[in-house]
Amino acid sequence: MDADVALTVAPTETDERTAPAPRKILMGTELYGRIAEAYFEEAATLDALKYAEWVEWLAKDIAYTCPQRMTRHLKDQAKSIDRRVMHFDENFNTLSARVKRLRGISAFAEDPPSRTRRLITNIRIQETDEPGTYAVRSYFLLSRSRFENATLMLMSGERLDVIRAIGDRFELAKREIILDQAVLGMPNLAVFL
Amino acid sequence: MLTRTTPTLSDGTPIGELVRPDTREVELRVLSDREIYDLEMEKVFGKTWLFLGHQSEIPNAGDFVMRDMGNDSVIVARDRDGSIHVSLNVCPHRGMRVCLTDAGNTPVHKCIYHGWAFKPNGDFVGSPVAEEKMHGEILPKSELGLRKARVHNYHGLIFATWNIDGPSFDDFLGEMKWYYDMIFNRTKGGWEVLGPPQRFIVDANWKAAGEQSAADGFHTLTLHRWLDEMFSNGGSELTSTMYGVEVGSDHGHALRCQSLSKKFARAKDFDNGTLSFEERWNILPAPGCTPDMIDEVRANLTPEQLEQLMTNPPQVGGMFPNVLLACIYAPQPDGRILGSMALHAYIPRGPDKLEFVNWVFCESGTPEADKAIMLKNTIFMLGTSGLVEQDDSDTWPHMTISARGAQGKKMTMKYQAINANPPPANWRGPARVYDGFTKDDTQWNWWMYWRELMTAAD
Repeated sequence: MDADVALTVAPTETDERTAPAPRKILMGTELYGRIAEAYFEEAATLDALKYAEWVEWLAKDIAYTCPQRMTRHLKDQAKSIDRRVMHFDENFNTLSARVKRLRGISAFAEDPPSRTRRLITNIRIQETDEPGTYAVRSYFLLSRSRFENATLMLMSGERLDVIRAIGDRFELAKREIILDQAVLGMPNLAVFL
Repeated sequence: MLTRTTPTLSDGTPIGELVRPDTREVELRVLSDREIYDLEMEKVFGKTWLFLGHQSEIPNAGDFVMRDMGNDSVIVARDRDGSIHVSLNVCPHRGMRVCLTDAGNTPVHKCIYHGWAFKPNGDFVGSPVAEEKMHGEILPKSELGLRKARVHNYHGLIFATWNIDGPSFDDFLGEMKWYYDMIFNRTKGGWEVLGPPQRFIVDANWKAAGEQSAADGFHTLTLHRWLDEMFSNGGSELTSTMYGVEVGSDHGHALRCQSLSKKFARAKDFDNGTLSFEERWNILPAPGCTPDMIDEVRANLTPEQLEQLMTNPPQVGGMFPNVLLACIYAPQPDGRILGSMALHAYIPRGPDKLEFVNWVFCESGTPEADKAIMLKNTIFMLGTSGLVEQDDSDTWPHMTISARGAQGKKMTMKYQAINANPPPANWRGPARVYDGFTKDDTQWNWWMYWRELMTAAD
């Protein structure tokens, strides 16, 4: 796979001249509110360790990835995101298997579980070519506390998602997690982002 | 104070007494003590060969990656003539780090502070405004280059050492080379890296991870028992994989060679002489290989090595001091068994901190579709989010916490499970050979070599 990729999925100027810009779903609209609500629910579900409920929000064809970040010079910034060996490269089956393990009795990386907060902000939503399907970008800050360690482990980043309306709810069809750290400050990703 | 002649800690403890051969114990303070850590940087990481990456990470002239030898940053760069060089990432002018990015390509490494410039091989090119002689005239240009490490390319794996006149890399591997060759030099193209390594910090002493890589079989039974709970039908699949042959050396290298006939139903007749090499290879090639690689493997390995690949292939283990090797089978839903191949380096970041660096590999001749499957498998099981290793990285910090306690640090780690079996009658390989259920011998060898280095005169 080519590591030389754009930092964002925003349309380029050329695209804007040749194709109509995807319509933004503005903050304050009813749709924005429903989608934001779904994101807050997801965060609460994971923070409450309700993994089985979290799986219900995942589409059967989900692609869930977390590329690596690299320290590169400004002229090479496209290479700051490397999608070859990723931290997560998951589909519905592998995410379900991860959840199955976490719900077992010997997933010691998260048993006893971390106490986590997923703070989700800066949600920006666009329509896509597919009716009822939206591109959602959000910032996150994950705080993770384990055992008696008084120092919170932190992880920040942006998520580039695609969600689908299924009746009056949504499902997560795609998620790419763009981390801010080249060297992660926690000993594993036994938690979902 | 440490003295040069008697390696003794400031509280009067001789270093050699931290590792007790009579009872096979190691004092827990080795996992937390700053003085021991500082000494290790000189006597272990300053002396042995260290793994830095793979040649396929820097395929073109000028390509470089920034890596670590102990607690020193180094530049691993490819020169115009294709040769690979390792240089200390410290500007000889004022000590600025010359390289600041994880990777890149440049014909000249120029320090951003005062502009001293260096070739990929570390040679000094010059300083700005040549006629004003920023670098003076006291030292010749030949003495103003980056400090160069000694480099060895082992079938594409890049190793380096500061021990310029010390043992050769082959001497360092010793008799274990026979086994490592079965993994790294079995195909024409050899291994290839699938991308930059995953990197993350674990709040643990590097030796908590290092000693485990010397073929700790027992921990799998307990720490990784979820494998049984999720994948086996009531019985213990893991217990059966504890059988096989462990091989190790006086230099602390170790590999677990698991019995295929005990591990896989399809390989149950592999030991009894009824099947040819070709028949067995087509049923179950070495982990990470595909059946069509048979001619390459035959060309590269001896008949004895081929026989071992079909009976007790090396699958997990490590290289002293800080490398873990995984070359394991990855069964697929379609019935095929592919492989999952990774190397880790545990970089010391202080007495209670390590950086876990995880490279994922495949054989370069693997079809692209299979490479993608192998990569996904490896990410799923090993490294940052790997279901196996996320438990390891959450365990080592607790040992390091124990080692800080006034009483805890006086406790010992015990390696008293001793293998008393002779080598298997038909065993063809060299080195120290431990037949049967996993034991502690290879890890004990690891500590004995650590002790040898730590107590060696300079």
